[in-house]
Amino acid sequence: MSFPEKLKEICKRCGEACKKAWQAVCSFFKGLWEKLAAKFKKNKDGTEEKSHYLSGKEVRAIAKENNRIMRRLEQRKKRKAPESEFVTEMKDPQNILEIEDLHSYFFTDQGVVKAVNGVSFEVPQGSTVGVVGESGCGKSVTSLSVMQLLQGPQGQIYSGSIRFKSLDFKRGADGKPIPIYVRDEKGEIVYDDARDKKGNIRLDKDGHPIKEPRQQRDEYGTKQYEMEEKVFDIAQMPIKEMYRLRGRQIAMIFQEPMTSLNPVFTIGNQLDEVTLLHFPGSSKEDAKKRSIEMLNLVGIAMPERVYKSYPHELSGGMRQRVMISMALAGDPRLIIADEPTTALDVTIQAQILDLLRDLKKRINGSILLITHDLGIIAEMADYVVVMYAGRIIEQGTASEIFHNPMHPYTIGLQKSKPTMDSDSDTLFNIPGNVPNPINMPDYCYFRERCTRCTERCHGEYPRMVQVSPTHKVACHLYDQEGADEKE
Amino acid sequence: MKKNDPHPSAEQEELKDGAPAPAAEGAAAKGAAPEKKRKEDPLSEERVRKNEEALKKGDFSEFDDETEAALEQKRRNDRAEADASREPDPEALLEVRHLKKYFVIGKSFTGKPTQYLRAVDDVSFVLKAGQTLGIVGESGCGKTTMGRTVLKLHQPTGGQIFFDGKDIAKYTPRQMRPLRTRIQIIFQDPYSSLPPRSTVGDILSEPVKVHHIVPKSEVRDYVLQVMEHCGLRDYYYERYPHEFSGGQRQRICIARALSVKPQLVVCDEPVSALDVSIQAQIINLLKDLQKSMGFTYLFISHDLSVVKHISDQIGVMYLGSMMEFGDKKSIFSNPLHPYTQALFSAVPNPNPDVKMNRIVLKGDIPSPANPPMGCKFHTRCPHAMEICKHVAPLYKEYEPGHFAACHLYPQE
Repeated sequence: MSFPEKLKEICKRCGEACKKAWQAVCSFFKGLWEKLAAKFKKNKDGTEEKSHYLSGKEVRAIAKENNRIMRRLEQRKKRKAPESEFVTEMKDPQNILEIEDLHSYFFTDQGVVKAVNGVSFEVPQGSTVGVVGESGCGKSVTSLSVMQLLQGPQGQIYSGSIRFKSLDFKRGADGKPIPIYVRDEKGEIVYDDARDKKGNIRLDKDGHPIKEPRQQRDEYGTKQYEMEEKVFDIAQMPIKEMYRLRGRQIAMIFQEPMTSLNPVFTIGNQLDEVTLLHFPGSSKEDAKKRSIEMLNLVGIAMPERVYKSYPHELSGGMRQRVMISMALAGDPRLIIADEPTTALDVTIQAQILDLLRDLKKRINGSILLITHDLGIIAEMADYVVVMYAGRIIEQGTASEIFHNPMHPYTIGLQKSKPTMDSDSDTLFNIPGNVPNPINMPDYCYFRERCTRCTERCHGEYPRMVQVSPTHKVACHLYDQEGADEKE
Repeated sequence: MKKNDPHPSAEQEELKDGAPAPAAEGAAAKGAAPEKKRKEDPLSEERVRKNEEALKKGDFSEFDDETEAALEQKRRNDRAEADASREPDPEALLEVRHLKKYFVIGKSFTGKPTQYLRAVDDVSFVLKAGQTLGIVGESGCGKTTMGRTVLKLHQPTGGQIFFDGKDIAKYTPRQMRPLRTRIQIIFQDPYSSLPPRSTVGDILSEPVKVHHIVPKSEVRDYVLQVMEHCGLRDYYYERYPHEFSGGQRQRICIARALSVKPQLVVCDEPVSALDVSIQAQIINLLKDLQKSMGFTYLFISHDLSVVKHISDQIGVMYLGSMMEFGDKKSIFSNPLHPYTQALFSAVPNPNPDVKMNRIVLKGDIPSPANPPMGCKFHTRCPHAMEICKHVAPLYKEYEPGHFAACHLYPQE
């Protein structure tokens, strides 16, 4: 055999081996593919949502788009605007707060999280409105939106309006608040000798004492100014104008008293700040007097002692009391209590709830109470708003929600909580989890977990149905009747 | 709370004193401190006699707290000694007698402990197989420490723990090892109790491999079977903990505890980090597993309504001591101790029409490093009497299986 023939022979044998090897490799990959496909299929079939991974390119595209929107909204927040731009009218003068079609979004690199997606409700003057929902349903974001405290630039109020009836200083021509002076019987202003910081009488060039008008003071010794009622649209307000409202008109009690007090300043220092900032012309002594009065108001036994102590020296219940007194120091019209008792024990929780109820009566304010505990809502609230995945699914008075719940989620939430009276063996449970907040579907968000799901639920998101003058529910089960009547 | 409170609460007292003096009981515990030796013996006959007379008269103006503390310590030791030789209850899976866990919080220059934090102080109970014991109490009352001490994750300072008839209190870690398959724990926070770098399969198969529950070749099938029991899908096997929600993670924790076929499971606040709708799922799962596999639970929680739902027996703890213990029915229909009554009335009722007459306790829970003399609850008790401030009440059985420690009820 010549050399080329030999080569051919070898090649032939080699080729056969190659073919076999190739087939083996092919069958291996085919098997692998089938396995993968089966796994993928299972994922799709299961009720669990499949994990969604984004490529780098997609992430960059989303980030670019988000940056554009975020920059626009940030600029709007920082703009200088005349008052006429954000002063509006209330729809119902009985209300102190009206939230209408509020959208608060978080712009993340994975996509837009619609934390609050079209929420509308009202807080009537002098009442308590409770917002309930599971974690991640947007109840805290709603309250932060009211204060414009969303963490920017990611968190933004995208659209909607938040109207708040505020009590504002009446301003003179020079833009300064107009003081109220004490008048005698004849209606003339009473004058006092002007004093300097040390308490000495100030003299003019000729040696005569300088006279100044005596300003009216309230029971805490804070100077009084002329006030007027104005309605602000918080969603339109530039961030600098918010200083007028925050702490003074709307106060917030945060969830964790441990982390929301500054550990390096004394309680007194932090409390005085509220008075010094919000009541122009008040001295340090005035502020201290007022702070101690406030500590007394919330039932702290040794206010002078607490005034001088640091937050770490107090227990959880005491710290929450300090937080409440801080909220009250600004004499607010609306108090937002964001899970005020979640970090506390049952016995301390009872104390704090009693205190809040007492204070509401005393200062004649309104409370927006945010919690996940239905028991607290039942005890405190006059009106209840139930939220799920960024939307309101049911709202009404407390007795309507608790005695006649309509939405399957509200019913499930009530049944799934073990109570002290019930003796049932197994608890009702809502299957599944809260859906992923990115890329929410068009249909009812509760569809996957609902036990009373109908054909219509596969359609668009249900609209709010008015069941009674105060009771609204967003569910197709109750919309059906209305649709039939129309036909 | 009112402004001018005639009875200063605990927080007021603590503030008045600034740095409170160590309690007399604490002084007795350290025993051999040098300056104490020179002083008069608190247990001298004369002092004990004086105290007894004062107690008979009911006049506490000259009552000697130091003597009483020493006497109380002696009485406790006697009780513990008397009980030590008693045979354990044959029906009980877990019997705990006079369990103590003290943490050293202050040391002298030579390293001798001078101050103790009495996290668990003289706790006794019996838990029968297949039953659930719920432990409730405020934060800082020592319920978690007790659960961990029963598991021997803390070495107990004193007392006995009978597990299945054997006293395991003095066991070394090596001796405990075979028992680990029979006692398991589910931790509170499902977010921090799973290793982030292991897959669910690894997490669940590790205890199975370590304890040789099944042959190596069958480990995977066994783990998948356990996962199915706990409501986890089989394709979760290769996923990581961060891919799951809180409820699913708690299911993984439960599956990990159950994979070694334990008899006793200590549940340390398993649902307090979860949402209401997820809580119900986990509680139902625990109940179903108990029915099908006959577990015994020691269920620790601060949520009374959850404990009521799941337990057969309930123990109420306050500052390291058991205040009341009994069957669920007898405790809920007839709570004896004022603390239990206040605790029950403080739970918010999800019915807006029911107006409860709430007993609101004043003040906060005192520091366990410096518990009050006498009855530990007297600083907040609405029924506190003069005797409560000086003499510790006896932990006594008032109805069959219903124990309480309170001066409102006959002591002898």
